[in-house]
Amino acid sequence: MSGKTKGRTTKILIFIVLAILAISNLYPLLFVFLNSLKNRPDYLTNPFSLPNLNQLAWGNYATMISQFQILKLFKNTLIISVLTIFFLLTFGIVASYAFSKLKFIGKEVIYFLIISSMFVPVQVTIIPIYMLFSKIHLVNTYWSVVITYLGMFLSETILLMTATFRGIPDAIIEAAELDGAGYFDILRYVIVPMGRPAIVLCIIYYFIVTWNDLFTPLILLTDMDSRTVMVALASLISRYSGDPTFQFAGLFLAAIPAILVYVIFQKYIIKGIGEGSTR
Amino acid sequence: MKAVVKTNFRRKKAIQGILSVIPTIIVLLFIRFYPIGEAIYRSFTNWNGLYQNDWVGFQNYIDIFTNSPFWTLLRNSFVLLISVPLQIFIGLLVAVLLYEEVAGWKFFRAIVYVPQIISAVIIGYLFRIAFGLDGPINLVLRKIGLGIMSIEWLGNSASALFVLVFCLTWFSIGWQAIIILGGMTRISPSILESANLDGANFWQRTFLVIVPIILRTIEYGAIMSIVWTFTGTFAFIYSITYGGPGYETSTIDYMIYTKFYQASANYGFATGLAVILLIIILILTFAEMKFTNRVSDWE
Repeated sequence: MSGKTKGRTTKILIFIVLAILAISNLYPLLFVFLNSLKNRPDYLTNPFSLPNLNQLAWGNYATMISQFQILKLFKNTLIISVLTIFFLLTFGIVASYAFSKLKFIGKEVIYFLIISSMFVPVQVTIIPIYMLFSKIHLVNTYWSVVITYLGMFLSETILLMTATFRGIPDAIIEAAELDGAGYFDILRYVIVPMGRPAIVLCIIYYFIVTWNDLFTPLILLTDMDSRTVMVALASLISRYSGDPTFQFAGLFLAAIPAILVYVIFQKYIIKGIGEGSTR
Repeated sequence: MKAVVKTNFRRKKAIQGILSVIPTIIVLLFIRFYPIGEAIYRSFTNWNGLYQNDWVGFQNYIDIFTNSPFWTLLRNSFVLLISVPLQIFIGLLVAVLLYEEVAGWKFFRAIVYVPQIISAVIIGYLFRIAFGLDGPINLVLRKIGLGIMSIEWLGNSASALFVLVFCLTWFSIGWQAIIILGGMTRISPSILESANLDGANFWQRTFLVIVPIILRTIEYGAIMSIVWTFTGTFAFIYSITYGGPGYETSTIDYMIYTKFYQASANYGFATGLAVILLIIILILTFAEMKFTNRVSDWE
C-alpha cells in the first residue's frame, strides 16, 4: 500500500501495540467469565487465578436462571427492543421517504424541527413523560419505554435514512410509477431494498442501545415483573454484600446478546460509525 | 388534459408526503415537544407531582444557584470532561496504527470498538469491583510494594472522579478511533507518501500531516463527546459511585434522577435542573453548528 509505513520492524511493533490494546478491551469480559465459574472464597483469595477445573461453579448460572429469572428479564428486554425497532423502522421509513423524495408544504420546516429535537437529552423530558404516563396508566408497561425510545431515537433514524434515501435515483421511482406502482409498492420494491444499509444499521444499532440502556427503564419500570435485564442487574449489584461470583454470572449472561449481534454484524456498525452517523 | 393529470399527480404526492410524516410528528409532539414545554413551565412552580403547583417565579433557579450542590455538580461535569482530550489523543493514535493495515488490522478494528457494545451497567460494576478496597487493583498495588497507594478509591471525591474519568476514557477510545479512521479514508495516500519521502517521523506525520486534514472529524468527535459527558454518563455514575460520597461525583443529569426519587419530591426544582441542562446542550449544539459553517466556508 502506498503512503503507509513499510519497515518490517515497524509493522511488528504496531501489531504488538494493537494486540496489547485488544487484550485490554477483552480482558474485562474474560475476567467476568472466569470468576463467574468460581465460588466466593476462591474469588476472594485470588481474583486473577483460573477457576478450578474440577469444580466449576456452574451453580452460579443455575441460580441466575432459577432464582434471578434472568430468562424472563431477557424476554422483557427483547420485547421492548423488538417493538422499538419495529416502530422506529415503520415511522422512520415512511417519513424519510417523504423527506427525501416527495414535495409538500412545510417540508423543510418540519424536517428542521424533527432533527433539532435530536439533541434534547431524555433527562430533560423524563419527569413530564413519567407524570403523563402515570396519568394514563402506562407506567410499568413495555409501551411506556417503547414510546419514550421512539421519541429519543426517531429523529436520529430519520436523519440517517433520509440521507441514504436521497441517494436512490429518482428515475427508478418514476419507472416504477409508470408501471403502475402505488405508494406502498414503491416503499416495498424500491426504497426498502435500496435503502438496506441504513435500515440494517438502525436495527443492529438500536438493538444494542436499547438492550444496554439503564436510565429510561429504571424510571418507567419499577415493577419486578416488567423490569429489563439492566434494571434488574443494577439493583442486584447495588447490594454490596452480594456474592460477586454470582453477580458475574449475571453480568456475563446479560452481555452476550449485544455482543453476539455485534460479532455477526460488526462490518455494518464500523462502517456506520465511521461515516459519523450515530452516537 | 395532460396538465390536469400532472396537477392531480402532484397533489396526490403532496398528500402522501404529509400523511407519511404525521406518525412521527404525533410521537415527537407528545414525547418531545410537550414534555420540554412542560418542564420549562413547571420549573417556575413548586410542583410536587400531585396537588401542589403554585407559581414561584425564579425561586427554583435561585435555590439551585445559591442553596444546592449545583456548583459541585457542574465542577464534576467539568472534571469528567478531562476524559475528552484523553480519548481523542489515544483514539487518534489507535486510528493511525490501524490505518497502517498490519496483519489482522480488521480484527483489531472490531475489538477496539467492543467496550461500546457492553452495557454501562456491566462496565461500571467491573470498575467498582476493580477499585474496591480489597479489589484487584489494590491487591496488585500491595503485591508490587505500592501498598501506600492502595487507598479507598471510591471513598473520596478526587480519586472517585479519577476512576470515573478513567472509565469514560476506556469506554470511548474505540468510538473516537473508529470516527477518526473514517475521516482518514478521505486522505489521499500520495500526501502521506510524500511525507514519508520527506523523512517525517511517526509524530510529525500524525500531528503535522494527518491532524490538520481531519480537523473537522476531530471537532465532531470532541463536541459529540462533550455533549455525551453531560447527558450520557448516568449509568456509569449509578453503577460505580451512586454519585457519592455525598454529591461529590454527581452530575446535573444524575441529580435529576436523585431528586425524582427523593421522598419529598420537589419536581419544580428537578425540572429547573433539566432546563439548565437543556440550555447547556443547546449552547454546545450551536457551537457545533458554528464550527460546521466555518469549516464549510473554508472548503
